[in-house]
Amino acid sequence: MLDGLLDGYTRSLLIFAGINVIAAYSFYAPFKTGQVSLGQAGFMAVGAYASAVLTQKFGMPFAVALIFGGVVAGSIGVVVGFPALRIKGIYLLLLTLGFAEIISVIALSWDYVGGAQGFRNISFNPFTLEYVIGVIVVLLVFFARLERSSLGRAMDSIHQDETAAEVMGIDVVRIKLLAFGFGAGIAGLAGALYAHHATYMDSTTFSIMLAVEILMFVVVGGGSTYWGPLFGAAVLNAIPEFLRALREWLELVPVEWTNFYPVNRAYDFLHDFLDFENAKRLIAFGVILIVMMILRPDGLLTRDSLRWLRLPRWKVRHA
Amino acid sequence: MIYQQLINGLMLGASYALIAIGYTLIFGVLKLLYFAHGEVFMVGAFVGLYLVILGGANIYVALLGAMIACAMLGVIAVYVSVRPVAKNRPLAPLISTIGLTIVLQNLAVYIFGGQQVGFPETVKQELYNFGPITVSSVQIFILAIATTLMVVLWLFIEHTKMGRAIRATAENHETAALLGVNVNRVVLITFMIGSGIAGVAGVLDGIKNSGISPFIGLGAAVKGLIVMLLGGLGNVPGAMVAGLLLGMIEILSAAYIGTTERDFFSFMILILILLYRPTGLFGTRMTEER
Repeated sequence: MLDGLLDGYTRSLLIFAGINVIAAYSFYAPFKTGQVSLGQAGFMAVGAYASAVLTQKFGMPFAVALIFGGVVAGSIGVVVGFPALRIKGIYLLLLTLGFAEIISVIALSWDYVGGAQGFRNISFNPFTLEYVIGVIVVLLVFFARLERSSLGRAMDSIHQDETAAEVMGIDVVRIKLLAFGFGAGIAGLAGALYAHHATYMDSTTFSIMLAVEILMFVVVGGGSTYWGPLFGAAVLNAIPEFLRALREWLELVPVEWTNFYPVNRAYDFLHDFLDFENAKRLIAFGVILIVMMILRPDGLLTRDSLRWLRLPRWKVRHA
Repeated sequence: MIYQQLINGLMLGASYALIAIGYTLIFGVLKLLYFAHGEVFMVGAFVGLYLVILGGANIYVALLGAMIACAMLGVIAVYVSVRPVAKNRPLAPLISTIGLTIVLQNLAVYIFGGQQVGFPETVKQELYNFGPITVSSVQIFILAIATTLMVVLWLFIEHTKMGRAIRATAENHETAALLGVNVNRVVLITFMIGSGIAGVAGVLDGIKNSGISPFIGLGAAVKGLIVMLLGGLGNVPGAMVAGLLLGMIEILSAAYIGTTERDFFSFMILILILLYRPTGLFGTRMTEER
């Protein structure tokens, strides 16, 4: 469908950005009830390994494996979510972090899924981009509908004050568990899509740093609206590419324009500055994160800024 | 054999304990999960290494230098990622210290490169035999430094005015402030002490493993967190004992079960503690959940 329009590099870039968007929504779902998880990378790993086992060892088509990956990760999410109900805040953060590490140890020591050599030769899915776009559209519609539904409002009220929500007759346990399991399921989808695009993974692919990046997408984009995760993941994935493009434009400037004294220094400085390998990219991310927490702790997009922007919304009935 | 393993566990545990002490002190006074602590440990290791390689310093100077540099880094951390951040959002300081973690780790990658760097032999390697167990001079050195630090810190917290102020602040910010404690200064000094100890732990880790890389921080941070929980949040002697305990458990499980399963056990301990004994093995004064 999109074959003619995009070259391989752009395509791959869009796929990884899209998978990050999906992962950001997997963090957003439990976050809507106030649960902060550093285990989303672990659920991605569960979905990735489960789906890859299905396509490679049982010869199933990708569509089946994708759903299977989501369901397995979601079920494990519910299993982890049960004990997680008892704890909050940093305790939950540490619990989910511990869960993700255990998943990574299992991936490392279980030879059936490749063990230390990693899971190799996963069948490549040529339609990953179409799948990614499809999943994002479904998620966007779902969360847009959710925001104005009674379930969505119940989730918001749990986020704001759990005790008050319970007193109002909201089934806090059921909704928190649902949100946690659903988030894990979305992470599973992201993992399955990743595995069948990268075709290789090992126990370090889904690391704590990935979980931190996922958290960052939502925090930077804004965790209080459903546009936030999409926006955050898109912006943070676009920044390095944008700077790279700037550098390429800079190289198009004719040499004779810049090869005299003050300009050449400035040119070299700018050229070096825009050379964005991984360490510099991550340093910039870290600085952005700190500055964000000081200036806009609720993220770039909040409900107020959306109202100001008048982005499309489902009809509101004011009570 | 088992005695030998226990000695090795003690060694590993001593460095866990040193990291966890800083965590638990900082958590005590700020109720903040300070994510960048592992990176302070890593920076300490690099400062020590460069003092030895470039400055030709002996190991004591390197330890002291790392301690001072990390204490300063702790102060910077407070001013950059703790004080300016919104107080009314529980997540904000956590995320800003995650940001600091990412910055420090990747600055180290940028400056020192992503590879493992060898740590020169600074303590003369000799082996001593005590009946069935063999202990090296390096092990004795590390244990001695770690024990001294822990005893000094314990005396400081229990028997000095500043130590009392730290305990009072950990109990309750408002009450401590009412009683004339300068809470901001206490927070700053706590960060300095915790970070300084982490710096020493970093250098000791470099000596022990004879190599360091910019990525050692994250693992150290996670193990430090487990130890902090095991010992009880904000409980300094608890962190010391729990550190030694976790070190022993890891070494024993690595020796008798398998090296890949080692981390499995420590994370299972983390989860079990969180679910069944959130106050840790030795209790905690913290009741507030965040």
